[in-house]
Amino acid sequence: MSSTEHAHGTPLRTLCLWSALVGATLATLFLGERGGSLMAVALLLIAILKGSVVALEFMALRHAGMLWCGLVIGWLLLVCSLIAFAYWKGA
Amino acid sequence: MQYKSQAVAKPYFVAAIGLFVGQIVFGLIMGLQYVVGDFLFPALPFNVARMVHTNLLIVWLLFGFMGAAYYMVPEESETELYSPKLALAMFWVFLVAGALTIVGYLFVPYATLAQMTGNDILATMGREFLEQPLLTKIGIVVVALVFLFNISMTMLKGRKTAISMVLLLGLWGLAIFFLFSFYNPHNLVKDKYYWWWVVHLWVEGVWELILGALLAFVLIKVTGVDREVIEKWLYVIITLTLVTGIIGTGHHYYWIGAPEYWQWWGSVFSALEPIPFFAMTIFAFNMVNRRRREHPNKAATLWALGTGVMAFLGAGVWGFLHTLAPVNYYTHGSQITAAHGHMAFYGAYVMVVLTLISYAMPILRGRAANSPKAQVLEMWSFWLMTIAMVFITLFLTAAGILQVWLQRISDTPLGFMATQDQVSLFYWMREAAGVMFMIGLVVYIVSFFVKGDKVAEA
Amino acid sequence: MRPPPALPRLRAMGHDTTLTADSTPRLSGDLAVWFFILAELLAFGVFFAAYAFARMRHRELFDAGQALLDRNTGALNTILLLSGSALVVRAVQGNQRGEGRRSARWMLGAMACGLLFVGLKASEYAAAFAAGISLSSSLFHMFYLSLTFFHFMHVILGLVVLAVLWQGLRQDRYRQDANPLESGAAYWHMVDLVWLILFPLVYVIH
Ligand code: HEM
Ligand code: HEM
Ligand SMILES: [Fe+2]
Repeated sequence: MSSTEHAHGTPLRTLCLWSALVGATLATLFLGERGGSLMAVALLLIAILKGSVVALEFMALRHAGMLWCGLVIGWLLLVCSLIAFAYWKGA
Repeated sequence: MQYKSQAVAKPYFVAAIGLFVGQIVFGLIMGLQYVVGDFLFPALPFNVARMVHTNLLIVWLLFGFMGAAYYMVPEESETELYSPKLALAMFWVFLVAGALTIVGYLFVPYATLAQMTGNDILATMGREFLEQPLLTKIGIVVVALVFLFNISMTMLKGRKTAISMVLLLGLWGLAIFFLFSFYNPHNLVKDKYYWWWVVHLWVEGVWELILGALLAFVLIKVTGVDREVIEKWLYVIITLTLVTGIIGTGHHYYWIGAPEYWQWWGSVFSALEPIPFFAMTIFAFNMVNRRRREHPNKAATLWALGTGVMAFLGAGVWGFLHTLAPVNYYTHGSQITAAHGHMAFYGAYVMVVLTLISYAMPILRGRAANSPKAQVLEMWSFWLMTIAMVFITLFLTAAGILQVWLQRISDTPLGFMATQDQVSLFYWMREAAGVMFMIGLVVYIVSFFVKGDKVAEA
Repeated sequence: MRPPPALPRLRAMGHDTTLTADSTPRLSGDLAVWFFILAELLAFGVFFAAYAFARMRHRELFDAGQALLDRNTGALNTILLLSGSALVVRAVQGNQRGEGRRSARWMLGAMACGLLFVGLKASEYAAAFAAGISLSSSLFHMFYLSLTFFHFMHVILGLVVLAVLWQGLRQDRYRQDANPLESGAAYWHMVDLVWLILFPLVYVIH
């Protein structure tokens, strides 16, 4: 068949990604006990990583070309930068 | 013409254009009164002229929508209209009621008119755009219900397409939200609150569905693009319209005494309202680029594309300009509002009605399209009116920015009237652009009477 | 001959599900749905930024409000959405291998995750309302309720979509044309994606 065969990866790959995402969520939970600007940046970085996995892998955007990858990853980066900026200014 | 009964659209279109002329005449009178304060005083006070200008606008657009629906629905449903006789009867009822109301505005003092027409029984008069006497309001409801009955029955017995369903949803919404014009609570906060349910939920809600459906209909006809594709985009557009438009009502709740969270809800969601307008523009251009046929009616295609662009500019860009609460805090009720109101109404609703007239009228008169000569004239009128409206908007925006500065921001703020004096140059320029608009309108009407070689029989 | 790269994307405006050659970019799902997803992302993005900048000016108020939230529930909800997303991916993979009918159960699993999310969130709301919290309680609560409720409505809409897809899978309707399945899946992932920012923003970062 075609690329669609692989576009959404294999079940094993999905399982690994899911475990990583759950791990990252638990990391957010434990790290998040502490506050502060640096921690805010760290937590936002984790969010960006998790979001990228969902966008590129689950939504299969890594097969969709630069434009669509750029739009969605760009959205993630933009929103998280705005948040980081506001938290840094407000600290 | 595919169905005989589509012919009832014609008187609706003719009446619409006639009232359009009246609207612009009163606009010009008011534009002059802005700079020559006692022009026509006391025969025609500014507030009366204003009422006539805005009410004529609404009424002729309603004539246009009804005519458009009577033309479009039989063709979409592939069946004759349920009752052409009823449609014609309602035409005369609406025209006479409309004319009597305008005559009442012009020759009877408003308070007397209110007494004469039963405002004591149920007070509904006195609110902008909804000034109509009780009897007229009831008349509008009756006409609308009979019209909806007629259209719905036609659709029920024929083919049901996505486009006609969206149109019908929009038209029903129009009638239902008008009912809030009968509810006029004493509490000023509630009064304003529900007034916007008519005004805002019309132009930024259900009318947009009508706009989308009419545009989609004409685009299918002139481009020959697959219905399936056009319908899919229509769905996306109306969903975005409804979500952003309904919650976006909050942008009118900032300063009327509603809870503070509306400043956030209103700002966020109304800031997204330009998206469906933008989508409509992209959609129109995309369909025309992918056209499968060369329709002889070039003027209609021009109007359709123009609607997309001007609606986005007027509603999307000029709406966004003052929709965030911190900005609106300064610009509320200034000439910036008027600039936006003009371009949005023109770009979205005036232009879509003219698009439909441009497409349907030649067919109603027995030809696929007008002669090239008539079309060239019509395109001239397109550019004259559209450019004039751009100028009106720009001059009012300039006046508005100055007004906000002098009256609300500066360290030594001026009073309202003193400020008006300072910006009168812009009002003169607006009046000049208004004259250009009127010339465009005359050219438009002349284009209906230009003969020349016929293009392809219908 | 291979078409120039821009063409398939343009064609996607139509209803074109032609399978394309390996290296040609291909959007998973319908372009119209993706346009919609972008609009949704923009809406959430604007709301998130508004939250952050409002907090900038009212730090104490936001930190105090946030301290009342149960972070564990938030994390559990995150895991539920992630699991739901992964299960939807499994359903799409199954359908691709021609096992549409069998992969319906993955979809059912995803719906279960979504329903659990709705239940947990509803109990959070019940507790908040019982404590007398409303949109007008404080700026933080205004944002907390608005943001999470806007998202909540998306989860419910997403669940309706998943239910339709589940039905379709059971009837093996996506064997020839996976476009509806992929479009609905993309929408559900979007609901997940925005929560991945919402959770740290509203529940955790202080
Ligand atoms: C075709 C669509 C639209 C039409 C016909 C329209 C028309 C109007 C009119 C006539 C008014 C003045 C109402 C009055 O106070 O008398 C108004 C006000 C306003 N419009 Fe629109 N509008 C449209 C779309 C939009 C959109 C999309 C936005 C936002 C992005 C918007 C933002 C506003 C705002 C903020 C006001 C209040 C201005 C003030 O505070 O004085 N409008 N609109
Ligand atoms: C198709 C064209 C036109 C449309 C759709 C239109 C629409 C409107 C609308 C919606 C309002 C109410 C605005 C508000 O509440 O903020 C209005 C008011 C007004 N219009 Fe027009 N108009 C048109 C043409 C004109 C022209 C050509 C002129 C004159 C040069 C004009 C002059 C005025 C004036 C002076 C007002 C009153 C503004 C005020 O109360 O301060 N209009 N028009
Ligand atoms: Fe509005």
